[in-house]
Amino acid sequence: MGKQSGSEMKILPGRRVEIWLGRSLGGLLLLGLYLLIERGGNAYLQRLTILFLINVMLVVSLNLFTGFTGVFSLGHIGFMALGAYASAILTMPVAMKAVNLPNLPLPLASIALPFLPALLLGGLTTMIIALLIGIPILRLSGHFVAVATLGFLIITRVVLINAEGFTRGTRTFTGVPPYTTLGWTALWALFNVYVAWRLKHSTLGLQLLAARDDPWGARGVGVAIGRVRLIAFGISAFFTGVAGGLWAHFLTAFSPNAFYFSKTFEIIVMMIVGGMGSVTGSVLGTLLVMSVTELLRNLEPGVAVGSFTLGPLYGLSQIGLAVLLILLTAFRRQGLLGDREFRLEATIERLGDWVRKARFSIKAPSAREADPLINELISKLSKR
Amino acid sequence: MHAIGSPEFWIQQLINALGLGSQYALMAVGLAMVFAVMRLINFAHGTVMMWSAYIGLLLLQRGLPFPLVAAGAILGAATLGALMERIAYRPIRGAPDVTLLLNSFAVAVFLENLAVLLFSPRSRPFPMPALLTQVLHPWGDLFLPSIHLWAFGGALLALGGLAFFVTRTRVGLAMRAAAENPTAAQLMGIEVGKVTLLAFVIGSAMAGLAVLFWVAHIGTIQPGMGFEPVLKAFVACVIGGFGTIPGAVLGGYLLGALEILLQGILPSVVVGYRDALVYAVLILLLLVRPGGVLGYGEAERV
Amino acid sequence: MRLLRPSGVLFLAFVLAVAACAPAATPTAAPATPTGGPPIRIGAPFNLTGGMASIDVPAANGARLAAEEINAAGGVLGRPLELLIRDTKTDPATAATVVTQLIEQDKVVAVIGFNDSDYVLAAGPICQRAGIPFITVGATSPRLPGQVGDMLFLTPFGDNVQAAVGAEFAFEKFGKTAYLLWDKGAEFTTVLAKYFKDRFTELGGSIVLEDTYQSGDKDFSAQIAKVKALPQQPDFYYISALPDDVGTIVKQFRNAGITGPIVGGDGYDTPLLIEVAGPAAENVFFTTHSLLTADSPNERVRKFVTAYKQKYGTEPEAVFAALGYDTVYVLAEAIRRAGSTDGQAIKKALESIRDFPAVTGVINYSPQSHIPQKGVTVIEVKGGKFTLAAERVPQKVPAP
Repeated sequence: MGKQSGSEMKILPGRRVEIWLGRSLGGLLLLGLYLLIERGGNAYLQRLTILFLINVMLVVSLNLFTGFTGVFSLGHIGFMALGAYASAILTMPVAMKAVNLPNLPLPLASIALPFLPALLLGGLTTMIIALLIGIPILRLSGHFVAVATLGFLIITRVVLINAEGFTRGTRTFTGVPPYTTLGWTALWALFNVYVAWRLKHSTLGLQLLAARDDPWGARGVGVAIGRVRLIAFGISAFFTGVAGGLWAHFLTAFSPNAFYFSKTFEIIVMMIVGGMGSVTGSVLGTLLVMSVTELLRNLEPGVAVGSFTLGPLYGLSQIGLAVLLILLTAFRRQGLLGDREFRLEATIERLGDWVRKARFSIKAPSAREADPLINELISKLSKR
Repeated sequence: MHAIGSPEFWIQQLINALGLGSQYALMAVGLAMVFAVMRLINFAHGTVMMWSAYIGLLLLQRGLPFPLVAAGAILGAATLGALMERIAYRPIRGAPDVTLLLNSFAVAVFLENLAVLLFSPRSRPFPMPALLTQVLHPWGDLFLPSIHLWAFGGALLALGGLAFFVTRTRVGLAMRAAAENPTAAQLMGIEVGKVTLLAFVIGSAMAGLAVLFWVAHIGTIQPGMGFEPVLKAFVACVIGGFGTIPGAVLGGYLLGALEILLQGILPSVVVGYRDALVYAVLILLLLVRPGGVLGYGEAERV
Repeated sequence: MRLLRPSGVLFLAFVLAVAACAPAATPTAAPATPTGGPPIRIGAPFNLTGGMASIDVPAANGARLAAEEINAAGGVLGRPLELLIRDTKTDPATAATVVTQLIEQDKVVAVIGFNDSDYVLAAGPICQRAGIPFITVGATSPRLPGQVGDMLFLTPFGDNVQAAVGAEFAFEKFGKTAYLLWDKGAEFTTVLAKYFKDRFTELGGSIVLEDTYQSGDKDFSAQIAKVKALPQQPDFYYISALPDDVGTIVKQFRNAGITGPIVGGDGYDTPLLIEVAGPAAENVFFTTHSLLTADSPNERVRKFVTAYKQKYGTEPEAVFAALGYDTVYVLAEAIRRAGSTDGQAIKKALESIRDFPAVTGVINYSPQSHIPQKGVTVIEVKGGKFTLAAERVPQKVPAP
């Protein structure tokens, strides 16, 4: 059939407006939200937002690898740790280094970098390490990679505990300058989401998804699976490292215990909730999980039921999270969005359609109306 | 440094390794069985152990004699395993591996926090009969904690029984068939569902037995105690050959030996890196021989 | 999959039922009897779940008990104390968020809590910036005031103090040679071992063998084998361990035939030591904040133990319970002296406290030192019980 149906590629003039409207609206909304929180003066909300944005980076980066390749990395928090310690060592003022890290090798002990270079170097170091270990590890399959990355997490922790000259071992690493602000984290998170988004919709992204869904088929069309996965691993590790650096300069005091299984579980849950393979899903998933956790946590001291108090219920938020995950894997395995993305433009488009129908009684052309030949055929058939 | 090359030293370390290895082997077997029939890495295996320990403690506090306490703990573990299979895992059978993994993670966290709510997070002592905890001095300077003997003996019995079960009995063979090829097994009239349940029950019972020796070794129980055993069991399975019972057993002993060896011979400067080395060995093994020492399991490379 | 639905709902109902059955109807705030004004709100973040819970929960219990006693006696400045106990889940990020919330939204006038440096250092700077005094219940690192700022106070003595007493006591009583073993996976044990080594070698002692283990290790046969391989056994064994591990370590060492005296820090102050090690715990000595037994010669200790048992149905599970108790009392005293709830006023009042009688000793602060100059109690395990071996002040303390 050579005729075009009404819903084909030609973009109606109205649509272009809608796409732009969608994008600028989204941008304005985010900007407005940012200003509201930044100027709002609510320090508690600001802290939560910074933590949220850092988590978004962690989850989006994890999803960038695990979601797109289908390979489970249980060791990503090891990258966060590396980025945190690396950038913190670089920014610590020299005088404090002499006190806290007396055994630091001279080149490191005598410099103190500003925030951005330290973050970048931290991220780059992490990326290089990821590429090095990725080369052998990513050739394995299925849960063997998961096991290997788990081993990486544990090895990282052991190394951090023992390399006392660099990390003070299990003693709290303090003296990190509090450079992280809402602005920095927002910019980095935005950048991370943008890169992930572009990656997903690029050739590389398609190759990754192909390799995930049908490795042999992908091989057949010439996708270099090992190389493609390695690139994703590296990019993912870079941003995870930067997120670690942001986290380090936010808390200003930490120890290797923060980079172990509970954090791993936390971001994995967020990724699953949002949908493995969806960038916007990761953002929404993080939002949902953090909201639920924080809500439950605020209920922990006790809930007033009638005239008496139910509680305290310490541990409620952890149990709530576990139950959420169990329900999710049972009822909605793909999480909130699965593989798809939430696009404001699509919503605006639908809105536009509705407006058109309602106000101007103009229907979006459908296949039937646009093609008289089909109409004839249908009427002929229905007369039989 | 000091004299560590003496034959006595090595015999001592061998005894330690056999004892520790037996514990790891018992823990690993349960994990391997579940994986074999369901392709599920059951992270909740450790919390099952923890719960069976608490059940044992509750029975002990009621004044029951120790053999009944042990039996109760093992039964409790088996029941918990069955419940888990029914409620949490059966509905998602056939789901991709990652979903199964995550689900087991969630079940583990849930069970652990439940224990924290009910039993409080602090450690509680678990008094064991002297028969299990005394130390024998067979000859010279050697010391042999009797628990090592019990663990070794227990492991022999349990694993021997299991070996007989899977090779000589119909049900056991059915389990192996279902593990190898569920579809074909179903076509042959094997009820895969029942067999899966049985695998969970037996695997959890093994864990219940393992935790008795574990607790005799450490003396206390607390809600977080299941985490380390399941990790060790996991590593043991991978080392030996994932998803197979002989692999799990061999892996358990190898892991025990490796840990004792490294702790014993590494100079104090680097002995802290012991765990890192164990995992590095694990990763190397995966690279060279993903099927583990015994060479089972998928070895597909991409 | 749809088959799950009924059992899933059942599951959920079971969960909620259990959660509801959990310690219910325990008031978080002390019953407010005095009515001379609005309650004085005090933030009390603790790690009530997670790895630190076993020592933080008793600390929170002790604090709660103190608040109730104070309110029953008329409160502070005629107003009731309201203790806002919050769980920070053994997570430093949560600790920081919770403390921010306590200061900004709940408008607390002071913060008490935490037994570990990680959390003090995550939350401390927030209090410092807000000008809110922060008294840590159980974190013993002597470097904390320097790291956080002048709003931070410690209720316990510093680790350098207890390690020095341990070294001096053992040097005098047992001899010049020692074996040193410590837990590499925890800050407290690492730091304690370091201070011990500093003081001991300064006295002229020598460490014949050093070894480490990781928190969570349950098998010490390798370390024991190294000790037994020594040509000559040292005079004593200094083992720096956490409460969860001490019983196991002592038991395994004794079972291996190591009979010499074992010395440690306040990590040994737990009922688990005797419960787990049993008769193996004989000839074990450790430094701690106080000996908490119902038949103590110290009247304050007796009163506390009795009151704790009455409220919670068990004797204090850890010495941190007494530290939590003392912290609230010290804070109440400071607020009383300051006559107001202003942060700076409370801080100055704290600095003026001298010879304050607490359950865990006599507390002195000064503008130069926010770490109390307290005596250290040395306990010996004899006849299956904790007995008092000595109460001393160190002659010299290693620099933090």
